[in-house]
Amino acid sequence: MRTPYDAIIIGGGHNGLTCAAYLARAGRRVLVLERRECVGGAAVSEQVFPGFTFSVFSYVVSLLRPEIIRDLDLPRHGLHILPLESTLTPLPNGDYLAQWDDHDQNRHELARHSLRDAEAYDEFGRLMHQMSRAVKPLLGLIPPDPASLNPRDWFELARLGSHLRGLGATRFHALHKLLTMSSADYLDEWFETEALKATKSASGIIGTLAGPRSPGTAYVLLHHYMGEIDGVFRAWGFAKGGNGSVSGAIAGAARSFGAEIRTGAAVAHVLLDRGRAAGVVLEGGEEIRAKRVVSGADPRRTFLELVGADHLPAEFAQALERFRFRGASGKVNLALGELPSFTCLPGNGPHLRGAISISPSVDYLERAFDEAKYGEFSTRPYLDIVIPSAIDPGMAPPGKHVMSIFVQYAPYHLNGGWTDARREAFGDAVIDTLAQYAPNLKSAILHRQVITPADIERTVGLTEGSIFQGELTLQQMFWLRPVPGWAKYRTPIRRLYQCGAGTHPGGGVMGASGRNAALAMLEDGA
Amino acid sequence: MSAVVIGVGVNELVAAHYLARVGQRVLVLDHGSVTDETATGWIPPRVVRNLELERAGLVIQSHDPWVAAALPDGGRLELWHDMGRSVEAIRRLSPRDAEKWPEFCTRMAQLAGVLEALYTAPPPDPLTRAWRDFARLAAIGFGIRRHGRRGVEDLLRVLPMPVADLLDDWFECDALKGVLGAAGIMHARHGPRASGTAFRLLHEHVGNPAGVFRQPRSNVGRVLQGLPGVEIRRGAEIARITVREERVAGVVLADGNEIPALVVVSGLDPRRTLTELVDPGWLDPAFARTVRNIRCRGVVARVALTLEREPGFSTLVVAPSLDYLERAADDAKYGRISAAPYLEARSDRSRGGGGHCVDVHAQYAPYALAGGGWNDTCRAALGRAVVECLAQHAPAIAAATVEQSVHSPRDLEQVYGYPEGQAHHAELALDQAFWMRPVPDLAQYATPIRGLYLCGMATHPGAGVNGASGANAARAIARDLARRRNA
Repeated sequence: MRTPYDAIIIGGGHNGLTCAAYLARAGRRVLVLERRECVGGAAVSEQVFPGFTFSVFSYVVSLLRPEIIRDLDLPRHGLHILPLESTLTPLPNGDYLAQWDDHDQNRHELARHSLRDAEAYDEFGRLMHQMSRAVKPLLGLIPPDPASLNPRDWFELARLGSHLRGLGATRFHALHKLLTMSSADYLDEWFETEALKATKSASGIIGTLAGPRSPGTAYVLLHHYMGEIDGVFRAWGFAKGGNGSVSGAIAGAARSFGAEIRTGAAVAHVLLDRGRAAGVVLEGGEEIRAKRVVSGADPRRTFLELVGADHLPAEFAQALERFRFRGASGKVNLALGELPSFTCLPGNGPHLRGAISISPSVDYLERAFDEAKYGEFSTRPYLDIVIPSAIDPGMAPPGKHVMSIFVQYAPYHLNGGWTDARREAFGDAVIDTLAQYAPNLKSAILHRQVITPADIERTVGLTEGSIFQGELTLQQMFWLRPVPGWAKYRTPIRRLYQCGAGTHPGGGVMGASGRNAALAMLEDGA
Repeated sequence: MSAVVIGVGVNELVAAHYLARVGQRVLVLDHGSVTDETATGWIPPRVVRNLELERAGLVIQSHDPWVAAALPDGGRLELWHDMGRSVEAIRRLSPRDAEKWPEFCTRMAQLAGVLEALYTAPPPDPLTRAWRDFARLAAIGFGIRRHGRRGVEDLLRVLPMPVADLLDDWFECDALKGVLGAAGIMHARHGPRASGTAFRLLHEHVGNPAGVFRQPRSNVGRVLQGLPGVEIRRGAEIARITVREERVAGVVLADGNEIPALVVVSGLDPRRTLTELVDPGWLDPAFARTVRNIRCRGVVARVALTLEREPGFSTLVVAPSLDYLERAADDAKYGRISAAPYLEARSDRSRGGGGHCVDVHAQYAPYALAGGGWNDTCRAALGRAVVECLAQHAPAIAAATVEQSVHSPRDLEQVYGYPEGQAHHAELALDQAFWMRPVPDLAQYATPIRGLYLCGMATHPGAGVNGASGANAARAIARDLARRRNA
């Protein structure tokens, strides 16, 4: 039978598009199938309210691999990243803690709160900087399998081992601690200022049903130091035009290499031919054949829905059942008539062009987590806020603004389930929390959009609303992601591959999974 | 005197006897901290063999059933050494779990076997440059691979897991998950949903037959004290450890007596040993900071009850579900005693007197209470709460309690020398285990001060394994002494 395509990519999220672009760049005939009318998956910009454009789901660019930006020449396709320069943590007592992208300025700011912390900040910064340089290469690595008997895996493991040993005792032990400790415990060894510890810890709990005192959350501290955009170390940023323009640029690159992208094309199941993937069947019944199929959907959707447990080895299916999602995050998008004015720093100012974090203390975050643990949303949640229109005026009508509020915790498994009433109650809790710090907020709101994990699952197709396509915990990381022995983007179904965040290195708008998957396919002779 | 050992705990005495066996003259100083006569924990068979403890009268009490879990309706789930009996008991609550029990036990026993191999030797050092250590690391790797792909997968997946996730993967019965989950948090500050608690479940399992997840008790402490070959000096309170030219010179007692020694082995916790007994001037400030950062937050109070009659159980656990344990841990996070604590009551027939003693482990009772410290009111309230709770499941308790004493973590610090009341001296968590225990620079039992060694529960493998730290430390010391002789 004629197979017009070398590869079909299920899902036009940023990883799927990256994978398509790399395959097309290598001269392969590629078709991307996206269920929704726009590409991007969770990295989309949409005009939710007339004139107001939102990065509806994911809202910052972090760790987008520089090699992808380079290889795909993304700036030429419209990617323009604006730096996110500060993080402001307003405090209930009317004070604040600000962190800027300048180390010395931060030290001075910290000294206002604690001289001891200001002193420790230097050494902490140096260690984190060294550590992130040491760990960064692991993100792009195709994880070797320690249970394998294949000499190639052994060679790769030995190389990895010698890389880790090469870090030297101090950094090796620091890495061990970062991987196994809770961020609160780790930061307790360095600092005493609650707001600093809480704000830094917050990065470790994003996307995961874990609190700052849960072991395993310390590692993500490094991600902040790794954040590199266009080679600028330690920076997070906005994509001009919203996160949809990241997907847009990657899609543009893919098209320029000859990839075909079809939207409004929902895949019903993967077509198997004598146990091998041979194409897909769309929901309308249309059958499209290809030599290889790669799925950007999360592991549960890919294998249990699109393939079906009957076609999988029993052990593999069991391991998938154990793979944990537990979405814990929600989002509130606001259209504002005016900028919020914070009690601690009234009026407009540079702090509104950075992130604003509602994380006054470690106990505050931990209490928010406690509620979620038992199936309630946090009544006083952790909020990570950005105001894209303050940097990129095109996002809102003149004089008006858009605000993106990332909220934790909103557990997918809510007692009694998510209903419209619960969604609005959740939205109210978020607004009430923020209004304590910015009193004019309520009167400034023109429209609001509240997104729960159930909404994320329904709209974007992420199982249980898990923004990382599966929790990023030690037992689901690296060679164990998503299933031990199947972490190299290949699957037990021949000619079927995975390229989503459910594979190493996982969530964030990194694109690394998509790129690694394409490289694995090309290696297999795709 | 060639070697002075500080402390009369099991590890200290094992180290002393091992050193005596390689020709050292050993003096053991009983510095006044109380040590339990009945020790809880597995004793490595090699230690039993080497010191001929069985001939000296070692008795290991292993109760059957090894645990009775209190059920909310007043009944009990009893688990036995005999797999078949446990399966029958579980079947009454959940036929599905009963079916899975034997496989769960086999898989966990395999993993605990790997830990057992690691525990009977000094911790491997992943940064080693010595080919012998390298070979050991490789041997451990092969040892795991022997169990096939699944062995490696299980080990690397399970160690960092929350015990709650591990148990949810296998079982549905709350009571079963509660009693197993409790083993994952015993003496830990964290609740069962914290990563790394599955490792602690395995730690509790090491050395036990498949299907037994509690350590046995034994009279090993008393047996070691009666063993000839080392001198034990009672009432010898230590004032400081003297150091000359970065070498240990001996110890000075509170009464001013100085005992010179080539080697000093301390069973006290590292913080006390290195930052209180040694003049901190001898330590690198960065190192001193890491020692002060060792986490040892006590969360357990001990309540001792004396009853007029048999309590009707050997080990009774109140941990009805994982959520119950998690909520108990939540209180401790904010410095409160758990409103509904996890209790583990052991009746102790060996202890004398007319009555029956019941030792209750009550968790969580944090060392640092929010809003004021421990006082008699807190203690009495905790004692009452414990008796009330136990009485619901063992009515004999309320009627028969004639005497109770409550040891808060602060009291445990005073009486037993537990830092911050933490019985493990350094919390057993993945970041303070193996080559990280208690901190990387102390993991091989030697300290930066030559001739000063640690052998206490803060070293690898630590609490719950009786004598392994002591034996490992003695081996490290003997090797260093031999090296010095040859030099």
